[in-house]
Amino acid sequence: MEKILTMIYPLAEGSIVTIQLFAITLLLSLPLGLLLALARLSKIKPLGKFVEVYNWIMRGTPLMLQLLFVYFALPTFGILLPDVAAAVLAFVLNYAAYFAEIFRAGIQSIPKGQYEAARALGFTYVQTMRRIIVPQMVKRVLPPVGNETITLVKDTSLVYVLAMNDLLRAARTIVQREFDMTPFVIAGVFYLVMTFVVTRVFNWLEKHYARYEE
Amino acid sequence: MSETMVKMENVQKNFGDLQVLKDISLELKQGEVVAIIGPSGSGKSTLLRCLNRLETVDGGSIAIEDECLVKDGKYVDDATARSICGKMGMVFQQFNLFPHMTVLENLLEAPMIVKKMKREEILPVADELLAKVGLAEKKDVYPTRLSGGQQQRVAIARALAMNPDIMLFDEPTSSLDPELTGEVLKTMRNLAEENMTMIVVTHEMGFAREVATKVIFMADGIVQEQGTPEELFGNPKNERLKAFLKSILR
Repeated sequence: MEKILTMIYPLAEGSIVTIQLFAITLLLSLPLGLLLALARLSKIKPLGKFVEVYNWIMRGTPLMLQLLFVYFALPTFGILLPDVAAAVLAFVLNYAAYFAEIFRAGIQSIPKGQYEAARALGFTYVQTMRRIIVPQMVKRVLPPVGNETITLVKDTSLVYVLAMNDLLRAARTIVQREFDMTPFVIAGVFYLVMTFVVTRVFNWLEKHYARYEE
Repeated sequence: MSETMVKMENVQKNFGDLQVLKDISLELKQGEVVAIIGPSGSGKSTLLRCLNRLETVDGGSIAIEDECLVKDGKYVDDATARSICGKMGMVFQQFNLFPHMTVLENLLEAPMIVKKMKREEILPVADELLAKVGLAEKKDVYPTRLSGGQQQRVAIARALAMNPDIMLFDEPTSSLDPELTGEVLKTMRNLAEENMTMIVVTHEMGFAREVATKVIFMADGIVQEQGTPEELFGNPKNERLKAFLKSILR
């Protein structure tokens, strides 16, 4: 028991790195994803095409590869980033592409009549998006966004290749030092707790948006 | 009171190869209630939608209250066009209320966002309008909880909250159960009695006959015949109109 307690402390420290990475990535990739979705749907055709290609690359290559590229390849072009910044950059660029596709589908699912009603009332495009379309889109995309968010909790463990002391790496360090598998089990429990919290938050959001039907 | 509210001259509209509106001209004075009737596909709704830029015309001119919106197929700049179209309110066949907002919020939204009015400025107006359409007690309800007739009355109130001079109705009762059309038509009738200028695309011949000051019969993208309800229903001259009336008044 005492042994477990001594393991908990470094693992808790690792969790903080994991949670920070998770939170910052989510906070940045959601708005970027929305911008990409709007750009993809824009009347400016080259812009839409650009985003399409961007999403293809980001969703079509491994996240691990993208992480390694940002971390090891960018410095050879003279772009030197601190560890955390490099990891965040790779995660944000990748997750924004997934969110963009989810948001695009959500926006396209809003009936044409909503745009027409807004236009007839004198709304500009930006006002229509901000007040009418995007708020309705949010309700519709909650389930897939929840899925991606849970995946992100676990995907943060990929940074172990970048020598960042996240939860998984903290666990592995102890395992290798003490030839004891317990830290893996504890780390698994930590991940479960984190994804449980995320699940609850999304359940609450879905309940909140259930106040109106469509 | 003979101010010209809407003037369309030689308006044309194509969907691909299909010419939906061929050379439409019409003029509307303040307080007139125009019913546009005709078979489906005749271009009635398109005509209405061209007035407030839901469709862009391919030729001709439109002026609203003597302000030019389109001149020979060329539109004025976007901001001017938006302000000109702001003089018109529109009611749709499918209501198109904002489902994520309560009834009251539906009414407050456009005045607050488009006209930048303060909530306390528009709130009494919204309350009054909801009372007028008989839905004051439903103001905190979300639209999908309402019947179709109630939703359409909210949609009318929402359009009126922007204080328009002209109201456009695009088949406002066509997606309603028969027993619910009456309440919507009554609301429109009240509006007509208050001297609102209205253009109503409708299949409700009773409404066209009793409320409209002018009836326009359209077919194949052309105004086939226009005149007072008495003239069109009592003594139709156009063959297409005669056939149309025969088929619906059976």
